[in-house]
Amino acid sequence: MECRVLSIQSHVVNASPVLGFEVDSINSVQFSNHTGYSHWKGQVLTADELHVLYEGIKLNNVHHYDYVLTGYTRDTSFLEMVVDIVQELKRANPSLVYVCDPVLGDHGSMYVPQNLYPVYKNKVVPVADIITPNQFEAELLTGKTINTEKDAVEVMDLLHAMGPDTVVITSSDLPPRLGDRFLVSLGSQRHVHPDGSRTTERVRIEVPKVDAVFVGTGDLFAAMLLAWTHHYPNDLKTACEKTFSVMHHVIQRTISHAHDLAGPGRRPSPPQLELRMVQSKADIEDPAIVTEATLIS
Amino acid sequence: MECRVLSIQSHVVRGYVGNKSATFPLQVLGFEVDSINSVQFSNHTGYGHWKGQVLTAEELNVLYEGIKLNDVNHYDYILTGYSRDTSFLETVVDIIKELKGTNPKLVYVCDPVMGDQGAMYVPENLLPVYRDKVVPLADILTPNQFEAEILTGRKMHSVEDAIEVMDLLHKMGPETVVLTSTDLPSTRGDQFLVALGSQKIIKPDGTIWTQKICMDIPKVDAVFVGTGDLFAAMLLAWTHHHPKDLKSACEKTVSILHHVIKRTIKYANEMAGPGKRPNAGQLELRMVQSKADIENPAVIVEARVIQQKNQ
Repeated sequence: MECRVLSIQSHVVNASPVLGFEVDSINSVQFSNHTGYSHWKGQVLTADELHVLYEGIKLNNVHHYDYVLTGYTRDTSFLEMVVDIVQELKRANPSLVYVCDPVLGDHGSMYVPQNLYPVYKNKVVPVADIITPNQFEAELLTGKTINTEKDAVEVMDLLHAMGPDTVVITSSDLPPRLGDRFLVSLGSQRHVHPDGSRTTERVRIEVPKVDAVFVGTGDLFAAMLLAWTHHYPNDLKTACEKTFSVMHHVIQRTISHAHDLAGPGRRPSPPQLELRMVQSKADIEDPAIVTEATLIS
Repeated sequence: MECRVLSIQSHVVRGYVGNKSATFPLQVLGFEVDSINSVQFSNHTGYGHWKGQVLTAEELNVLYEGIKLNDVNHYDYILTGYSRDTSFLETVVDIIKELKGTNPKLVYVCDPVMGDQGAMYVPENLLPVYRDKVVPLADILTPNQFEAEILTGRKMHSVEDAIEVMDLLHKMGPETVVLTSTDLPSTRGDQFLVALGSQKIIKPDGTIWTQKICMDIPKVDAVFVGTGDLFAAMLLAWTHHHPKDLKSACEKTVSILHHVIKRTIKYANEMAGPGKRPNAGQLELRMVQSKADIENPAVIVEARVIQQKNQ
């Protein structure tokens, strides 16, 4: 399977190579570590530098990709350059799939500069094919709050209308059926059939909660969703089950290790909570399904 | 196995050289790899075009400061490769000295990339930095024949010469030396090239045990980029698993290279079409596709022990 991904992300471990994808990666920053640690130092890639790298690839005529994957950015001109690149790549390959994690914030507040919001809303999301917002980001992008499952379905339909055929709300505050040790995620995939008719597959996934703050899980999620929707392009339920299950295994392994390192009764520190990616290789390749997705209408 | 490697090498958006060549296989084998990208280029310099940015010595220092401030500057291995800048290289030396101070058992795997086939392809002023500052800190060194000759000031025309050069390199610092390729004639004919290795171990009773090995490696009719980086990374991994058995470590390392190269050549020829020479893009190492071989290499080359001494 020769599937080429262009990944424009911060310097983060990408699990896609493990699943057989050829990943070209542009590092949008080079930091010593993520910003959840007490200290962090490094350099950011400017929009011009991003353009220069892309020019290099174009000059060699190797700018042919099946997927583009983007995540956390803090800079509007960088984001706008990303949009230009995606548009050009889509002209080179109209069946290119752009997987976009619209990283804006969480739990009611933005953690990127506010001026990124209109760029995501008006320029980025319209060219995306798959987006992975959390509840806050989905609400911000559509201007509609989610209090019920019905609201979530409406928000996902609004997001479809903005561009992407596949939307996964990675986490929400909706009350889980399985109790408060779980959180609710939702997904929606719009299919256009050969005869022109449209159907929408909607799923609800209950995911075990974890008592820790993780960094990097959103990046891993988007990468895994790319891989599993590639293998199951018309079956969002299965793609989500596999993706969320992989997340669970990586997080479980990470939590166990973090607690071992921290010792009894102590809260693990950011270095101790770094995702155990390398050690989770087997689970990434062939996840045992531990979450359940149900189809909803 | 909780083994942390700090790898300071290039990053290319597309292709497999430097950190791209080293990181994935090391992760496949269970190593935690922290990587500092000394450059970010669109692709390696063997293509028609390449564009990108280099990390300055100052920026390298800043990154290292960040790691230190969080008190996570603890590594089991360091891996370095291609560099073009003396001040960058000197900053790398300072970092390694400090890390060895934090962990005296740290193993520095150094590929002293300077040139090949009789010519340097980095600025000449890197030689004294490698010779006087870098190599003395190295524990494992992977020079080719040319690099070994300019580091020691001694040419090699025979296996005996190669043995002397490796002993000279041991005296400069590293206890493990692998001459990754030479022009020495192979006993198996001209379809093979000769590689050699030497390991010096100081036993608990103070005696010194050295073992020298020789390998005949099938030649390939193509120019590859990134294979040296893959070699150094895999030698790191397999000497970790076979710390006192250079023969096995080299056999596994060379076998992995062979499988990756074979897979790459086959693919490149298919892409190029019959009778056409593959281009740089087509000859990118088929790293991702070689995962199974990296994890569990079928050993296809046998190393001969050519000298073993206890003194």
